[in-house]
Amino acid sequence: MRFIVCVKQVPDVAAPLQLHEGEIHAETGRLVLNAYDASAVEAALDLTETHGGSVHVVLVGPTGGQEAIRKALAMGVESATHIQPDADAAIDSDGYARMLADYLRDEDFDVVACGKQAQDTDAGLTGSMLGALLALPFAGNAIKMDRDGDLLVVTRQSDSSQEVLALETPCVVSCSNDMNDPRVPNLKGIMAARRKQIEVKIGVRPRGEPATRVRRYEAAPEREPGRILEGDPQEAVDELVRLLKEGHVI
Amino acid sequence: MGTLLTYVETRNGQVKRSSLEVLSRCREIAAARGDELAAAVVEADPARCVDELARHGAPTTYAVRHPIFARPATVPTTLPLTVALARIAGEASPTVLALPSSESVREMLGALSVRLHAPALPDVASFEVKDDAVEALRPVLAGKFLANVRAQGAPVLVSVRSGSYAASEAPVDTTLREVAFDAGEVPSGLSLREVVAGAEGARELSEARAVVAAGRGVRDSAGRKLIEELAEVLGAAIGSSRPVVESGLFPAATQVGQTGKIVSPELYVAVGISGAIQHVAGITNSRIIVAINKDPEAPIFRWATYGIVGDLYEVLPGLIATLKSS
Repeated sequence: MRFIVCVKQVPDVAAPLQLHEGEIHAETGRLVLNAYDASAVEAALDLTETHGGSVHVVLVGPTGGQEAIRKALAMGVESATHIQPDADAAIDSDGYARMLADYLRDEDFDVVACGKQAQDTDAGLTGSMLGALLALPFAGNAIKMDRDGDLLVVTRQSDSSQEVLALETPCVVSCSNDMNDPRVPNLKGIMAARRKQIEVKIGVRPRGEPATRVRRYEAAPEREPGRILEGDPQEAVDELVRLLKEGHVI
Repeated sequence: MGTLLTYVETRNGQVKRSSLEVLSRCREIAAARGDELAAAVVEADPARCVDELARHGAPTTYAVRHPIFARPATVPTTLPLTVALARIAGEASPTVLALPSSESVREMLGALSVRLHAPALPDVASFEVKDDAVEALRPVLAGKFLANVRAQGAPVLVSVRSGSYAASEAPVDTTLREVAFDAGEVPSGLSLREVVAGAEGARELSEARAVVAAGRGVRDSAGRKLIEELAEVLGAAIGSSRPVVESGLFPAATQVGQTGKIVSPELYVAVGISGAIQHVAGITNSRIIVAINKDPEAPIFRWATYGIVGDLYEVLPGLIATLKSS
């Protein structure tokens, strides 16, 4: 099966982040491969290692940042395309999805995979939008992916159950990080990644102002400070039960 | 004058609490602005939800009625649901289509946005309507920050985190308006092989009024037993953090947090959970958080309303016994 995995670069959420005049600044300034996309890359590599096929990654983003692509190549992905928007202006989820769809319409693939959301925006629209834009079968929040002949069999986590879906290819899948633990690239992989060519294409950004925009970032509200219930376990338990009753919680 | 349309999710004919919360918020906005209010139901038997929606103030309920929406599902319903909602939106011409931010809504929101040429604001913690735009706060970066976002469109789609607003009653007379839907128009390309249901009688996490959640401190089946007993006596759903899902002690469906379920109970009891930011991102809409952890430095205590520093294997038996006897 031929996979194309859509990847995104996000600020390193493990590094300290600061809010300054409505904008978020990452202390390290480092951009990394979105963790959910890493799970999609891992799942694609895993399936092609078992059944044969190929894995290609595509990134939409400004010039310069290719960290996410390098990481995917170091994991074992064969080839990559970096789509650089033709204008340095804001792009919303819809814009990203349309630029990806424009690219994908000209490509041959069996499965388009992406993470179920990006770590920086947590929006989770791309996969579902791609399915609709390309008019292909879509399954989101996949926790398991397997091949059955020409079909892709996906287990997805739903609200109260898991659904096992068989998708005709070509299809679109968004992946949960519960699917796997993405491999950590070894030295050989990192060296090999340096020799792999990254195709650069110019993407046409949808015309006009994006319909959605971020006006500013704000600090999340703090919770009221709580209290530690002192004493031996039973004393603490008695106090807890008293407080919960007083608050009509139980 | 605009129309605020709320998509109302049901489970076995029961309207979900998270949907009533969204409907209540829309009612509040509609009243302040002089807008129309309506509900949208996609059901095998919509009539059974109408009383509940009338009690929560929806004067009009648009409904798509079709047997494929019966539960348990026998065919994939994401695409039919998207088409049905697009149909209802076509009929109701809303200025805002608000939805509960559930897994099934996440699954279709992007497609609905494409189909309706409508911008989407997913998973918001609050929203308001200003002129012809929707402004909202969205938790981002594992809930560390809020993005203040704005969308302009007709309609604007906005999905709302459970627990962000209170559900309130305001009875009115309601009219049920059925909207035509043809399952044959929905393209195929995928089939449902199996539905692996949660444990028999398991309470749905995102709807639960009380949640008992287990973390790394729960090491074995004896610990799991204690969690189950505590959940039973509190009438709570069982949640978990990632380590105990990975260890196989708890099923993936119980995972709470950024990658799992977002919960909003009255009472959240975090047992042996350290409080990693990815977990906390899913619990901050809880009213009361109780943390039980033997490490006094555990970050979970920063979020807890009440904390007990102690070994869960010593604290829980006493807590269970005390709750039983009181």
